[in-house]
Order: sequence, then C-alpha cells, then structure tokens
Amino acid sequence: MSPGAAASGRDTLMKVIVCLRPVPDPASRLFVNEDRTWIKDAELSFVTNEADTHACEAALELCERVSASRSEAGEVVVLSIGRDRAARVLREGLAMGAARAIHLADDDFEGGDEYVRARMIARAVEKDGGADVLLTGVQSDDLGGGVTGVMAAELLGWAHASVVVGVNAVEAGLRARRELEGGLIETLELATPCVLTIQLGINQPRYATLRGIMAAKKKEMKTWSRGDLGMAAGDVGSEGALCQVTEVRVPERDHRVQMLSGSPAEAAARLVEKLRLEAKVI
Amino acid sequence: MILIVAEHADDRLKPISRELAVLGRELADDLGRTLTVAILARDPASLVEECRALGPDRIVTVAGDRLEPYDPDVWTAAVEALVSEDEPAFVLAGHTSTGYDFLPRVAARTGRPLVPACIEWQRHGERVVFTRPVFNAKMHMRVTPKGEGPCFVTAAPGAFPPREPDEAGSGPPQDGGEPRLDAFDVDLSGLPVRSKRIGRESAAAGALDLGSADIIVAGGRGIREKEHFGLIDDLAEALGGAVGASRPVVDSGWRPRDYQIGSSGQTVSPRLYVAVGISGAVQHLVGMQSSRCIVAINKDADAPIFKVAHYGIVDDLFSVVPEITRTVRALKGQSPPVGSAGSGRESD
Repeated sequence: MSPGAAASGRDTLMKVIVCLRPVPDPASRLFVNEDRTWIKDAELSFVTNEADTHACEAALELCERVSASRSEAGEVVVLSIGRDRAARVLREGLAMGAARAIHLADDDFEGGDEYVRARMIARAVEKDGGADVLLTGVQSDDLGGGVTGVMAAELLGWAHASVVVGVNAVEAGLRARRELEGGLIETLELATPCVLTIQLGINQPRYATLRGIMAAKKKEMKTWSRGDLGMAAGDVGSEGALCQVTEVRVPERDHRVQMLSGSPAEAAARLVEKLRLEAKVI
Repeated sequence: MILIVAEHADDRLKPISRELAVLGRELADDLGRTLTVAILARDPASLVEECRALGPDRIVTVAGDRLEPYDPDVWTAAVEALVSEDEPAFVLAGHTSTGYDFLPRVAARTGRPLVPACIEWQRHGERVVFTRPVFNAKMHMRVTPKGEGPCFVTAAPGAFPPREPDEAGSGPPQDGGEPRLDAFDVDLSGLPVRSKRIGRESAAAGALDLGSADIIVAGGRGIREKEHFGLIDDLAEALGGAVGASRPVVDSGWRPRDYQIGSSGQTVSPRLYVAVGISGAVQHLVGMQSSRCIVAINKDADAPIFKVAHYGIVDDLFSVVPEITRTVRALKGQSPPVGSAGSGRESD
C-alpha cells in the first residue's frame, strides 16, 4: 500500500507504526572499543530489542481487534534505523505480520543519542503520511534511557503514554494502562494520534511462522537515506547528538563483593560458612 | 541556577525529591550556583515546609488545577515556562514514571540535551560530565552535554542517597538561612486535554507482603522454565525465608505479580537477599539494594547484580543452588538444641 493510500484512508484505517531497534544479543560478552566511545560490536550478533517485540505484538493485536470490531483494515508498519542489522529486524517484524517496513539506512546514521533517533523517527512518520499510533519499546537494551518514544511524541506534536502494560482502542482514541512505581497502575484515555512506549510483559510476542517468513520476503521495504528524510549531516549521527560521549567503560565492581570459587559443592559450603560466621545472617 | 522539579503524592514529597536535592546541592556548590526547588501542584503551599528541609536557596511554586492528577502535557508546559524564565544551567527530575515521562518532552521542545538515568557526575574543567548506565548496566557511559544553556537530567532512583539526619554536617543547610519563596504564574488552563487519567489501582492484590520478610530468595530469568522454580522454593524453605521474583519471571507467568521485587513491584530490605539467576536490571536493584547481606548466583560474571552483592558465585545455578540447599539443610539438621544423632557438619 502506498503512503498516499494510507494517508487518504486514515479516517477509517488504524495505522500503527512500530519502531524496532537492533541490539546486541543480551547474552553477548561486551568489550569497550578502541577509542572508548562505544562497544566493539562488529562481531556481535544482533537481535530485535526485547521490548520492541512486545510493541510489535501490541501493534498487531491492536489492529486485529480494530479490524474484527469495525470490519476495517488495520495496518502495521515497522520502522528501524541502521544498516543490515536493521533490515534483519524489520524482516522479523514483517514475518510476525506487519504489512510493510521502512528502513532508515545511511552511513551518516552511525552513532547519535535519543534526540537524534527521535528526530529521525518523527521525520519518517511524517514522510510516511503520519499514523494513528506510534509504538516503541519502553527502553532499548543499548542506551536504555527510555526516552526516545516520548521525545518523538513531542517532535510530532502528539500525546503520549509511557510504560504501557495494556492498550485498547475506544471511541475517543485509546485506553492505555500505565505502570507506575510500587505496583500501581493508572488507566488513561488518550486522543490519537499518540505515542505509546510498551513495557515488557504486556503480551506474549508471537513467533513468526514459516508461512509468515515466506510472506515477509514479498512485502514492501522502503529504504530512506538522510536526504530522503530532509535532514542535514549535522542533524544525525554523533554530530547531531546533543550529548557527546566522553567515555564508555566497564563499571568498577564494588570491592565489597567476595567471589566464592571452587566446585559447586565447595562454593556452596564457603557461602554458607560466610553467611553464618562472617555476615551472621543465618 | 540549578532547578529541581520535586515529585509528590498525597501532599507529601516522594523520596526521589530528597535524592534530587542531594544531586542539586552537589552541583550548585561545585559550580557556584544557587539551588531552586520547583513545586508543581494544585495547592503547592502544603509542600513548602517539606521543601525547606531540602535546603534550597529558593522555592518556586507553580499552582494550577491542571497539575494534578499528573498530565505530561501540563507539566511539560509548566516546566518549559519556568526554564525560559529562569534559564537554569541544569534541570533535574527523577528517572521515575513522572520524570522520564515529562522531562524528555521539555528537552525535545527546547532542543537541549537530556541525560537519562544519571548515576554519577564529575567536573572536567568547565564542563560537567554525567555517567549513565548503558547495555543494561553492563557498561557505563560518560556524556558531556553540548552547547550553552539548560541541560536536563533524570536521576536514577537510589543513586544519590540522602544522608542520614544524625550524620554530622547534614540537615538543612547552609549559610543562607531561609530560602526565598516565589510564586510563578503560568496559565495552564487553556492547554488541550489529550490524555486523561480515568483510574488508578494496585496491580497485584497484595496477598504477598515481602516487606517484612527477614530472608528472601528471589529467582530470575536464569531459571529458564517455570518447572525449575522449585529450586528457589527449596532454598527458601531451607533458609526459612520467603520467595520473590524478578520481572521476567512474573511476565512469563511463572509466579504471580505480587512476587515481583523492584521499582514496579515491592521494595524490600531483608537481612539476607539471595538473587538466583537475576542479572540485576536497574529497576530490580532499586527494590533490593538496601538489603543487609546480598548473595548473587549467576553464570554471567559481568551481571550488574554483582555490583551490589556482598557474596557472589559465578556458576551454573542448577548445580550450585541444590548444593547450597543441601548444605543449609545439613547445617540446620545439626543445630537444633535437642541433640540429634545426625552426622557432623558438612566439611568446607
């Protein structure tokens, strides 16, 4: 479906754009790079950011429910920034059931902070003719600031809700459940268009079926460069970032931790003795 | 000037506000600036007294019916107005469901830097360098905000603990005496209502109260399957403790929501906390790091849980945990006052 058709059909079509971020596999051992500004990531395997897979599932469910209740078609579009890794996570999103993908790929996109990412996302959403809902994961497993989605909402001029653990379409827009501290949940009604940042545990992301994987190969994937987004070189990458990375380092381990080694039985025995005689807690 | 946006609920300051005051005072003193606390509330007067105890040089109140219940659009407008009026060097809020919800909007609206989840800061010459955890706290990143003008910072809960009141040198400072009290007038009534709170409830029925437990054994994602959670139950039983869980366990449905320990679950500080297969996400650490003795068992030596632990074992939990349970059982089997014919203590 063309952006034009999507835009013109938006009165009756629920269009949801989901941001998918490729991040190093959480099981990876990480090392700081030569100039100490990031990790050595060339050799790492990348996966879709965990919270983003929940966001993708939430988008698909939202559209399926809308389609079922109003007999209208919903459309899920997946969006990612980066080179081959981004294309791979987009294909996963397509295999899960998204209708089409937007790949923001340009050598100039390397580096950058949440503000840069949010600007690029907002530009891409606008260029694609807008949407009813933009979803992101609550935070990424790389920068982990949890603010990109909220910033994108501001740049788009949309409402938002962060840390969402439940969402439904209602007459007025969306009804979302938001997680607060201490086990509190608040329920909000939001006008669309809006941005939601999706918390882990909101759903069980579906696995791509073989048929889904095959179908994904035929789905549309647009690739947009910096120029396509109408952004200057100084707006993107580390040049566009509002914070300069001074250093990435392995956190110092607090010296108070005592590591107990040996076979499982030896380590267990050492631990129990320490707890009894040194810490005196059992 | 350093500006703090205080958080409050039910006419009381939330603990994060005191932590913000610690960071704010450090920055203000080091940079030779003043510290202002902003209270955004329907009736800010009720919070002024508590804010005085934070030791600011100035308290600014912003009153408005639209400020409660919290609405990010309204708080964004209020703080943006304050910032353009006062031009603070740094604006601090909590990395909380309030702070990370509105401060990124203010930062994006003004096109100024934001440092999320700040845990530490340093002076590098004229500039301030902030530290934030990245890669799930496996790495720390130091960042320097670019340019001149306000910089926005959300402070990670627990990173700037207030001093105990009885420690020397604490208490409301400083030399200046009473803080100045200003009312800031901004019309928020005309903002469109785009999001509206229609309800608020506790996520879990709260059947399980871990807050009073003396010993807690908590299981995490490393348990891998629901069926394996019996390992945790067994160790907890042997130690006479309660069972807790980290978020992934609850999200996967292996244990109910009221077992969850962390910022969105229960906050605990038992005598002994045993974290099994828990990597130590910041949100989990906030809920348990004040425990008196922390034991971490994880096969990943880089797991951030070891940063807060007193004792650590890097190994496969499926081999180690049953051994600990067995050792504890053997020990307890020997210790009752009534003499038993049991075997001697396990060797070590």
